[in-house]
Amino acid sequence: MKVLIVDDEEKFVSALAERLVIRGIEADWATTYSEALSKAETKRYDVAVLDVKMPGMSGIELRRRLESVDPHLRFILVTGHGSEEDYDIGRRESCFYILKPFKIETLLEKLEQAVNR
Amino acid sequence: MCELQGSRMEKEIGKICAEGLSFFGITNRLISHELKNVLAIISETLGLMEELVELSGQGIELKPEKLRSLSASIMEEVQRANAIAGNMNTFAHGVDEFIRDVDIRRIVALVIELSQLEASLKKIKLRLEPGEPCTVYTSPFFLANLIFRVVKASSRYVGPGDETRVSFDSQNDGVRVVFSGIASNSIEGFPTETDSFLAKALSARISINVAANELNITLPKKIGESPIQILHGR
Repeated sequence: MKVLIVDDEEKFVSALAERLVIRGIEADWATTYSEALSKAETKRYDVAVLDVKMPGMSGIELRRRLESVDPHLRFILVTGHGSEEDYDIGRRESCFYILKPFKIETLLEKLEQAVNR
Repeated sequence: MCELQGSRMEKEIGKICAEGLSFFGITNRLISHELKNVLAIISETLGLMEELVELSGQGIELKPEKLRSLSASIMEEVQRANAIAGNMNTFAHGVDEFIRDVDIRRIVALVIELSQLEASLKKIKLRLEPGEPCTVYTSPFFLANLIFRVVKASSRYVGPGDETRVSFDSQNDGVRVVFSGIASNSIEGFPTETDSFLAKALSARISINVAANELNITLPKKIGESPIQILHGR
């Protein structure tokens, strides 16, 4: 499985990607939307894990841009808010949605569900 | 006070309370979101450390520098959380007394810290120019509210990476808070009705200096007649 993780918190994405690599998942990370788009243009991923609130472009908008680059890409939205509004966004966007901080097992489960959808 | 004036004042008190509550909600949301980010980093870093230790038990080399770096990263995040909690505490004390002597520099510094928690504001750089404390008798909480709104509005007219400088100009009858480096010739719809209402409640004036690319808030040395004073007296 190939996963792209996008979040402006570098320590978070780098540690998370390393933990996925330990589990045999090919994980790349980006801290800006432009970096994420450029990675998706040059490599095919199965799932993109996106932070909802990012400087410059929201995770929702980035999802649309990534989808136009690769229509087969699946998405998991990550947020620290946990507000009803965010939950509604996740549902409306028919994405998987996880709250920060989360257990790695929760992400692994969502990744499996996303690729098998 | 006649009945009509009394009723108008009650409405203004209601409006200022609603605005204050909304600002309190916004800042709480920003702060809790940032703390969740910090917790997520700590959680992932600790998870990674645990897994690396486990792998080392299976014969995979674990370099001490790697552990040191991860441990330092956790300490940095603890300090970051501590600073956020400190700001939250300072902010919450802003309503201990609705009106008092306030060093505007400290309020601006706090608002700059808070505004950097908002994703849409992270792209702009805000710099507080060095200088002496600048004290006026006003409402620290509602002043922070007005400055936050001005920072947010000005961010729409600043390019990514551009710097907005905040300085103070003490005058005989008050203080001018100057936001420089804003493309003020393109500002539309500012100040809003709420901005103007808040400014009026603080006896302040908002102005735009197109030629100098500046946004200004001019505050008197002492707040005048205002619904905030009624809140202060209750």
